[in-house]
Formats: sequence, structure tokens, C-alpha cells
Amino acid sequence: MKTGTISRRTMLKSVGGVTIGLPLLEEMLVSSATAAEAAVPVRAFNVFFGLGIPAPLQTEGFDGVLEPLRPLADKLLIMRNVDQIRCDESGINAHYDGATGSFTAEPPDGEARAGGPSLDQVVRQSLYPEGLPPEMVPTLIGGTFFRRSRVGRYVHSYKHDGTVAGTMQEKPRDLFDRVFGRVGTTDDPDARRQRLRRSVLDAVVDQYKFYTGANSPLGATSRARVADHLQRIREYEQRVYALAGRDPDSPDVPPPSDVAHGGEADPGGMGIDITLEELTTEWRLMADLYALAIQLDRARFGSITFLAAGERIRLTGDYEYEGRKIFHFDDAAQHNATGDQGCSHEWWHKYNPEKQNEQLRAHAHMKMREVAYFLSKLDDPDAVEANGKTILENSMITISTESGDGRHNDVKRELSGVFHAITGANGRFKTGEILDLNAEGIDVYNTMIRSMGAEGQLGPADREMRPVDAILA
Amino acid sequence: MKIMKRFRYPISLGSSAILLALAASSYDTGLLTVSAGQAAERTPDSSSQEVGAAARTTSGLQVVYDFHSSEGRNVEDRSRVGPPVTLQVSDENAVTRREGTLDVTAPVLIASDEPAQKLNTSIPSTGEVTVEVWIRPAKIDQSGPARIVTISQDPNGRNITLGQDGDKYDVRLRTTDTNANGIPSLSSPPGSLTTDLTHVVYTHDRSGRTRIYINGEQVAEAEIGGSLSNWDGSYRLALANEFSGDRPWLGTYRLVAIYNRDLLPHEVERHFQLGPEAAHASKLADARTQLFNNEIAPLLTRKCLECHDSYAKAGGLDLSRKKAALAGGESGKAIAPGSAADSLLWEMVASGEMPQDRPPLSDEEKASLRAWIDGGAQWSTDFIDPAVYLYDRPRGQVWLQRLTVPEYIETVRSAVGVDIDEEARKILPPDLRADGFSNTAYNLNVDLGHVEAYAELAEIIVGRMDVLEFAARFSESRSLSTDDTMRDFVAAMGKWLLRGPLNEREVTNYSGIATTVASAGGDFEEAASGIIEAMLQSPRFLYRFEDQRGDGTAWPVGDYELASRLSYILWGAPPDEELMRAADEGRLTDPNELAQQVERMLQDARAVSRSLQFATEWLDLDRLSSLSPDRNRFPDWDDDLASDMRSETLAFFEEVVWTQKRPMADLLNAQVTFATPRLATHYGLEPQRDGLTRYDLASIPSRGGLLTQGSTLTIGGDEASMVARGLFVLHDLMRGVVRDPPACVDTTPVPTEPGLSQRAIAEQRLANVACGGCHSKFEPYAFGLERFNGLGAYREIDEHGNKLLENGVVLIPGAEQTSRYESISELMDLLARSDRVSRSITWKVTQFALGRPLTAADAGEVDRIHETASADGGTYPALLKAIVMSDLVRMKQTEAMP
Repeated sequence: MKTGTISRRTMLKSVGGVTIGLPLLEEMLVSSATAAEAAVPVRAFNVFFGLGIPAPLQTEGFDGVLEPLRPLADKLLIMRNVDQIRCDESGINAHYDGATGSFTAEPPDGEARAGGPSLDQVVRQSLYPEGLPPEMVPTLIGGTFFRRSRVGRYVHSYKHDGTVAGTMQEKPRDLFDRVFGRVGTTDDPDARRQRLRRSVLDAVVDQYKFYTGANSPLGATSRARVADHLQRIREYEQRVYALAGRDPDSPDVPPPSDVAHGGEADPGGMGIDITLEELTTEWRLMADLYALAIQLDRARFGSITFLAAGERIRLTGDYEYEGRKIFHFDDAAQHNATGDQGCSHEWWHKYNPEKQNEQLRAHAHMKMREVAYFLSKLDDPDAVEANGKTILENSMITISTESGDGRHNDVKRELSGVFHAITGANGRFKTGEILDLNAEGIDVYNTMIRSMGAEGQLGPADREMRPVDAILA
Repeated sequence: MKIMKRFRYPISLGSSAILLALAASSYDTGLLTVSAGQAAERTPDSSSQEVGAAARTTSGLQVVYDFHSSEGRNVEDRSRVGPPVTLQVSDENAVTRREGTLDVTAPVLIASDEPAQKLNTSIPSTGEVTVEVWIRPAKIDQSGPARIVTISQDPNGRNITLGQDGDKYDVRLRTTDTNANGIPSLSSPPGSLTTDLTHVVYTHDRSGRTRIYINGEQVAEAEIGGSLSNWDGSYRLALANEFSGDRPWLGTYRLVAIYNRDLLPHEVERHFQLGPEAAHASKLADARTQLFNNEIAPLLTRKCLECHDSYAKAGGLDLSRKKAALAGGESGKAIAPGSAADSLLWEMVASGEMPQDRPPLSDEEKASLRAWIDGGAQWSTDFIDPAVYLYDRPRGQVWLQRLTVPEYIETVRSAVGVDIDEEARKILPPDLRADGFSNTAYNLNVDLGHVEAYAELAEIIVGRMDVLEFAARFSESRSLSTDDTMRDFVAAMGKWLLRGPLNEREVTNYSGIATTVASAGGDFEEAASGIIEAMLQSPRFLYRFEDQRGDGTAWPVGDYELASRLSYILWGAPPDEELMRAADEGRLTDPNELAQQVERMLQDARAVSRSLQFATEWLDLDRLSSLSPDRNRFPDWDDDLASDMRSETLAFFEEVVWTQKRPMADLLNAQVTFATPRLATHYGLEPQRDGLTRYDLASIPSRGGLLTQGSTLTIGGDEASMVARGLFVLHDLMRGVVRDPPACVDTTPVPTEPGLSQRAIAEQRLANVACGGCHSKFEPYAFGLERFNGLGAYREIDEHGNKLLENGVVLIPGAEQTSRYESISELMDLLARSDRVSRSITWKVTQFALGRPLTAADAGEVDRIHETASADGGTYPALLKAIVMSDLVRMKQTEAMP
């Protein structure tokens, strides 16, 4: 790993004792039973990972690809046989359908809209109808992903009208700015506009970088001129984005990202080459910052994505888990193909329950390791709250994905048995179990909403509710 | 692929064929310099080598093998372009080598060890190729085709191959429309191949036109479509066989040359007439020309001409002219061609006696001078023009051109239909003048203010656009999906805004904005707005991008690069749809098409605007906005007069250049002007109508021409300085060169007084030994302007009662004799008729067109531009057309890549 982890403790240390403006920090540090109930806020987050875990592999429990979740098993409820077939929308890619339906229970509604709100937003809207305290990011959305095209592949927090609940922060630095920069509301036009301007500037910078790089068509003299221009843009960028609006007490800005972002991350759906180290370095920095935002109570709702639905990467590198070599990733060579056909995505399409599926297993195992990395950040000593439990235990954290089988030739099979897991939400849901629910996602989600004390439900209003009480504590 | 063969065979054997027969005959008897003999025969006043050097084109040459090494296994590439592609003979026993000849007597492979990188890179880059050979096949019954020249891998994979297929030549070229084996091929007609010494040329241009010439005559033509982008960079170059060893060719090689452009029919014809030895002769002559151009002429300019030009001619020696220099001076012959030891010039320089009172030549300079004299003291020109050697641009240094403020404004207007003139002029930092123009590329740098302004302007521009309506030009879809139509939309819109097709990387990059917009809940309009905003700030919008990679030589510009060059030179604006279509279809490589485009574009109002920008820059009219004369001295001055003067000159320029369509030199003496009533009164003319009005000056001998207008007369300041006015004429109309005054000289203007006019003060300076040498080269031009005061008003007596004159004697740079004039009008006529003035205007317009100072390397081409334009009437349109059609525009200087 190129960077060390970032925790609340290290972050506080790094700012040399400067008090960060945290309204709940003092309360969080007080271990008082009487204050406990009041001091533990309601939180709801979704952790999404792409491509899913085929239902047959889920039956192996923590002995299979779910192994990395075992250390957190007591704090998770694994839900098998959850069906998302209602999210199928004719003519739309099943990756997209399944991902959009994840914890919205609805099929997509256009390119950039879900069919309804996501679970975290239903809770947020219900419990904070007047909005969150102004120091907080209303909905924090971040992720490490590369596949683009449709928003539902990577954004997993949607408002009631199906539009995205916040702007995706796809670089650790962007997420950092969102948390420690100027504070705005969900619909803050300035914040949104700034994000778009940033995107425009990023595209401009990428162009200048290319023309000063090794493959530039320019000669040395002209390249130097463009390099000079790029330096001026950097200066401009610094002035406009790095200096303006920053919380004066915020920690140092994290290092810039080295992996592809924006359009470069998804060259026409053909996939990108990336090493395991590059991928996990980027993700873990993102995960650290996101977890820190939760620990510092800068965010209570939102979603974080580790690899998009239908993700297309050609991964290389040795994969080890707890000192044991699991696999050597080399997708393109192992597929003996290039471009999109050489991506890890294809292992899902080639899934065959009669075979070992070694490559798919390795990828899925690695994803669980990284999901567990994030979850464990909310379960470490820094994350213990006033009631003596960790944030992981106190929050409603849903872990979702897109499909239960990678074979595209049968939608019903593909969208059935989709892996789900949730945390206890401060004692509301069972944990430490693996349940075969044999239920529709919509019923599971609505059961959770009700249990959280939130109003409203997902899906058609006239649909008869079928509570899934098996999940309740 | 559409094949359309057109045969014109049998070849009609004209005089050149007869000469060839003589050449072949002589060659067979071992007289290897026969082609040089031919050249001498046709041009008895020239040496054979000089003729060869002048005639054989090297433009676009990539490799040439003249077989002038008769030992060892190596066959040397003598192109001196990029890294040489040396060939190795696999079996020395299979060949017989003599000076200038390589006989292949048994199957053998003569091939490069490494991929022919410069060929495999440069030819796909230009999309054009020529393979030229002088060969003698050993027999008719060779086939396969038997490989004469090939860039390939094996019998099934090639970039290009020229081969023998029985009694015809066959050429296979790999394009995106042919297969990996270059099939369908193009063949010469049956019976066209004989066992005589033969000149064979294959050419292919970007439009697909493909031709085979035999002995200077075209014998086959086809249209082979597709691009050369699929050439395999790993293929090697070989002669006499395929790399598999099973396609041998037997015969004699005299010359093999490959170009990254298509030789034109007249060039092919000329190469044929020059024979197989011309390449070798040209190489020798070229080295001598290079020595003179790059070393000797600059050295003489810097070290000798101060005292030994046509004007000063110290000791009777004029070293600025070939004839005079070789004739010598009062001490006899100064240069003995072929022997530095016998040359007085060398003796004086070697001893340090010359340059007198100046630092001696460096050891390197002395070595160059000695080598030049010992090598025959060859001159490449009759006259050394110091102005040509003024700029010593490092070879291969190519500056990217940023859009100037007016170009940015016009580009925005043309590209998206938004008028951003007011805001752009307000917030963009102004472009500063360098070498007389503010579009000089090396000076168009960028500061933080530019970046801030470009970002702000982009936002303003997009805010004023109807983005959806604009986007509809490129896509009917409103989808944000990058899997769907967004990429196509970005590609189509980007091609228009960025003046050429986008590559995948760029499409991907800009499409990312749509992704961000989508993830923030935005819509198509917002995404399109963001993409346009990014494109408006991108390097390809703000700069005129060209692919500068190459080998350090000049390559043909690409289709879209040429389209942009045309539009910015003629309009100061981006290509329009018609020009882009022509680029799409590869039509701009056709000179006729190019000429038609120029004619069309010159009809556009933007051509007039661009010409007025030139006039503004050339005459530095922006200076007028800060004109602030001494109010005590000129109590009647009205600040609006400065603006009137600017308007006068621009209206005059438009009248002469566009309305009357007169030669550019007529700007010096056209008897017409334009004035407001205020300016007319200032000039002493009877005011006519309100506003800017045309005045006929035929009956007013003191006025008529640029130099009689307030805009240029005010260059002399309140004192009507003869130094400032004279230098303006010398520099900007004559391209004359004088040195700056020594640091110790007091340059404080001497005030006039009763009995001491400006003319009298100037004549005192001219009589001064320390000053006169230089001042006499420019102040006499200002003598004729003495009757105009500092603000351009006419008078015949100054404020002290001194009588003012209007006569003088001038030495025009490059002339051997002085010229006398008696009046203002005679001076204007003298200048208007001056070839030097006319050429200088050509030089200035060309400099503005190219956006860079011209150097010695450009001089020849500028001369050709001038001759062409003069023959076409000497008008501004004729000049622009000649510039655009020249190699200065159609070719680009590349930089050698490591």
C-alpha cells in the first residue's frame, strides 16, 4: 500500500491539536450511560460492490468467498435468496437494473434516475425532515469505480423523486473537499456548480497533461509552452478550489489520486488496466476518508461504492489474504483476450456452477476483503460511541450488489438470490446469522424502514406489504 | 477500393528518352558521370553539380541510396534525414559493386537490421509516399513479384513493395482499404518493363491518387482509398528479395529513393531528365550550399558588411555581392576560389588584421571561412541581404501558436456564434508585439490572467449560447449515456470546435463530464454546456495544434492542419464547413482544389478583416490610441484626430487593396485618402461630408500614400524626428538593417531654432564620421517628409521661419546606386516602384501569415512567393494565394524525436 490508513486519531494528531469544529465530538468521547441513547445518532449508509456473488457461492458461508467478512460476522446479518426480479426493465442492461434496485427495490427510471428513493434517503427524510445540522454533509456519496455510462451503476443514494441524493465524489481529494470544504446542503447550487466546474477543469487539465506527456505530438519547444500553460492552470486550480472555502481547521489535503477518473476511467466500455495495488490504494484512502467523515459526524447518510455494476477492469497482481496467497490476477492473459473481453467482468458471464470458477472466486473474495476493510474502520476503538458500541453496530449499514448470477441469458436467474448483508442498527436487526430469506428485496427493505421508525415505504403504494420479520432482532 | 487504370503506353520517346539512352549507353561503358554531363549539356552556363543541386527535390525525402560506396556489406542511406536506414548485403558474392552501381547477380537479401522506423512513422503520418528507382532488370522472366524494393515481413505482410512481375512493374501498398499484403496492387501495362536502364516512380497521395511513371511518363493510375494508418511499424526495408528469401530479383541498382510525399509529375519528369547520378551530385552541392547559407553568409553579415557592403565599400571591396566580392577591391582579388592560402581575405582574417577595430573571428568562424574558400567559394545567392540573416532561429525549434485576442474572438464567433469581442478585449491580457507583430508565436505566452480569462469567457460564452440548438447540429439524441450516443456527440461536436477529429482518448476525456453531470442529477443540456466549456479552454481550441513529430525536416502538413493554416492565414478564424469537408475528403492536397479554396475564402468579409489586422500590426496603428502631443506646442490638437488617422489608414488600405485591387506597392503612392472633416481640416483639405469621406488627391502633390498620412507621420513625435521616421521607412518598408548607436553616443534630439531646421540638423549628423555611416542609410528617406510637422500637418516653413525642403538622395538596401528625388511625390513614386519595397511587403505579409520571423532558410521560398504574386498582379489576394500555395504553408518543420 502506498499510504497509511487515516483514522480519527491519526487525523486529530496530524492537525496538531487544533480543534476541528465537530458538534458531537465531545459527546462521542464521553462514555456516559445516561447520555448514551441521546448521543448515538441514527445513520444509514449503503456499501455497494459490483458484479455480485453468484447464489451458489453464497451457500459456502464464510468458508468461501465471504471469508473476509468472518471477523465481522457477529455484527452482520447475511441475507441469501433475496430476489430483485421486479427490477428487471425490458431492454435495459441487467447490471444496471440490479444495481439501481439495490436498496431502492425499484427499476431505473431513465439514465440518471432510480425508480424511487434509496433506503438511506427514506430514513434521512423521515427522521430529519427539516434537514441535518448545517455542519454536516447531508448525503455523502463516494466511491472507487471505473465503469460509467449510467449513473445507477455507481451511485446508490437516491431522493424520493429518483434523482441522485448528492454528487458523487470519485477522488479521495474530492470527498475530502466535500467533507472539510465549504459546507452546503444537498441541493446547494454552489456546491453542485463547483463540482461541475471542477469536472470541466479536470477535463481541461487532462488535455494539457497529455500534450506535455511522452505521447504528445508536439516538439520540445511547443511542449514547454503547453507545460507552462498547465502550470498556470494548476495555479488557478489551487486558487479557486484549494484555497477558497476550505475549513481553516481541516486536516492536510490527502495525496492526489493516481488512478483514472472521469472519462478516462471508462474508455467506451472497453475497460482499463489496473494493478491490485493501485486499486486498493485508491479505495482504502477513499474508505478511510469516508469512515473518518462518519466518525467525526460529518455524515450520517449516504453510500460508498467499491467497483461499479458491470465494472470493467483488467486486474493484475498477486492477491494475498492474511499471509496466504489466494490468486495471481492477470485477467487479460487468463482470458487470452484484450479490451472488454479481457476484463474480470467476463468471469461472471462465464460463471458455471459445475466448475471451480477460480478467477471469479478470487475477485469476489478480494471484494469482500475491501468491503470488510471499510466496515472495520467503523468498528475500531476510534469508533466506539457513547453506548459502548461501535458505529458499525449502531448504524444501519446495508451491503448490496447487483446480481445473483452473472449469466446474462436468464434475467430471472440473474436477478434472483442477490447477496445482501446489513448491520444491527443499534439492536434493531439480527446479527451473527446467515438467513435464507426467500423474499423479495422490496419486502426486506420496507421491513427495515419500519423497524427504523421511519415513515413511508418503497415500491408501489398499493402493493401489499409482506413483512420479513425474520430479520428483526 | 476503386481501381481505375489509365494507360498511356507505349511511351513516346522524346528528347529526354534519347538523353537517357545516351546515359545508359555511357553508363554501360563505365562513364558514370553521364547524368552530370547531360545536365551540363542542357545548361551550359552552370556546373553540373549546381544544376543537380537546384533541380532534384529533397522535400519529403526519407531515404536515398546512390550506391556510391563500393566496399563492404553496407549500403548507406545518404538522405541525411533522421537516423540513416543502413542496408546490409547478406551475401557479398551475389553482388558486384562499382561506384554508383550495385549489380545483383544471384539471389540475395539487402536489408535493414532493424525496422525502418522513420519510413514506417513518417509515411503514415503524411499519408503519402513515393518510391523512386533507377534500375536495369537482368531479365524479363522474373516474377513473384520479384522484390525490387520492399518494406515488409514475409510474402503475405507488407507496407509497400515495388516488384517485377514479368514484363510489368507491380506495386502493392497497404492501406485501410487494401489487405495486409497490399492487394489489390497497381501494375504498369504489359510490356512496359524492359532490360534497359529505367527510371520507375510510384506515387500515392492522401486523396488516394496513385500513379506509376516509367522514364518520366505516367503509365498507370488508380484510386487507392483508405489511409496508411495501418502500416506495421515493425517491418524492415529490403532490396532484391523478400525476407522469406523466395522472391529474388536480379538486376542493377543505380538509385533508390523513398519520400513521405507524392512527387508531382513535373518533379518526376525532372528527376528522370537529371538521371541516376543527380542524387549524388546534389548531395555534394547541397553541402556547399548549406555551408554558405548557414555559416558564411551570416559570418560576412556580422563581421564584414559593416564596412564592405555596397554602400560603404571600404577599400573598394564589396563582400555583399557575389560578382563584386569575387572581383576584389583596390588591393586586388580578395578571394581565390579553391585556395584560402592565396586569398587576401583569408590572409587578413587569419592574421587578425580584419575586421578592423572589431573582435577577431573565432577559431570556428575562421575554420568555416577557410573551408568555404578551399571548397571553391560557392555562393548560393548573388546578394547577401543582411535582413535575411537577422534572425538566427535554432534549427528545428517550432513554436506552437496560441490564438491572439482577435483570433480568439473570431474563432468563438465562427465556432459557436457568440460575439465575445467586448468581454475578451476587456479581460484577456493583450498580446504584445515582437518582431513587428503581435501574433509572433514565440511571444504568445500564457500567464495566470489568461487562464482565469479563458475560464471566465468560456462560462460567459456558454451562457449566451442556445446549447440545445447548437448540440442539435451534432446529435439528435439527448442521452447522457456514454454507452449510447454521448461519445458520438462529443466526437462530432469536438471535431467542429477543435478543428479536426478527436481521438478516442479525447472523446473519452470529454465524455467524462457527461458522466459527472449525470451523477449529479444533471441533464443533457448541462452536460453539453460543460463539455463546450471544457473544449473552449482546451489546448486544441486555444492553440493551433499540429503534429510536430518527425525527423527534423519539413513534412507535408495534414489535411486538417492545412485547413486551419488556410483559415487562420486568410481569415484569422477557424475553418468553415466547406473547408472541413475538403479536409475530410483529402482534397486540399490537390493544388487546384487548394487554389479554388483560397479564391473562395478571399471573397469572404473575414479576409478583409484579416488584412486590416495586418495593416494595423505592420504600421503599429494601435500606437495612435496613446498619442499625446504637447498641448502647449499643439494647442489645436483634438484627441479624436488620432482615431481619425487610424480610420483613414485602414479605409485607405481597404480602398487600394480590396476596392481598387491594386498592387500592394501602390499603398505608397495611391492618390486617394479618407478623412473626417476634422482630419481634412488638419491636413489643410477642404472638408466635405460628415464622417469618413473619400478624398481624391490627384491635385494635391504633397499627399498620397501611406507615408503622407498622420498615422505614420506621427511616428516622428512632436519634433517630427527624422531619425524615427527614417528608421520606420528603413525597417518596415525596406527591411534595412542598421546597428544600434554605440552606448557613448548622446541621442538627445537637437532642437530646431532659427537657421537650424530638422534637415540641417540631420545633415550635420550625416557629415559626422561616427554617425554618418549608419544615419545616411535611413535619414534621407525622412528628408522628403520634412514639410509634415510632428502631427502630420503640412507646412513649408517651420515655427522658426526656416524654409523646409522635400528633396533627397537615398540608397535603397540591395541597390548599388543611389536614387535622387526632388519632391514628396517623387519619393513616394520611387518607393512604390522599388523592388525592395515590394519584396519587403511580401516579406511582412508572409511573416504575419506564418506568425514568426522569417529566416535565411525561408528566403528562397519567400522569393518564389514574391515572383508568383508579382506575376499574378502583386495584389494582396495574389500574395495570399502565393503564400498559401507555397511550401512555407504546405510543409511543416518537424522536430526529431528521440
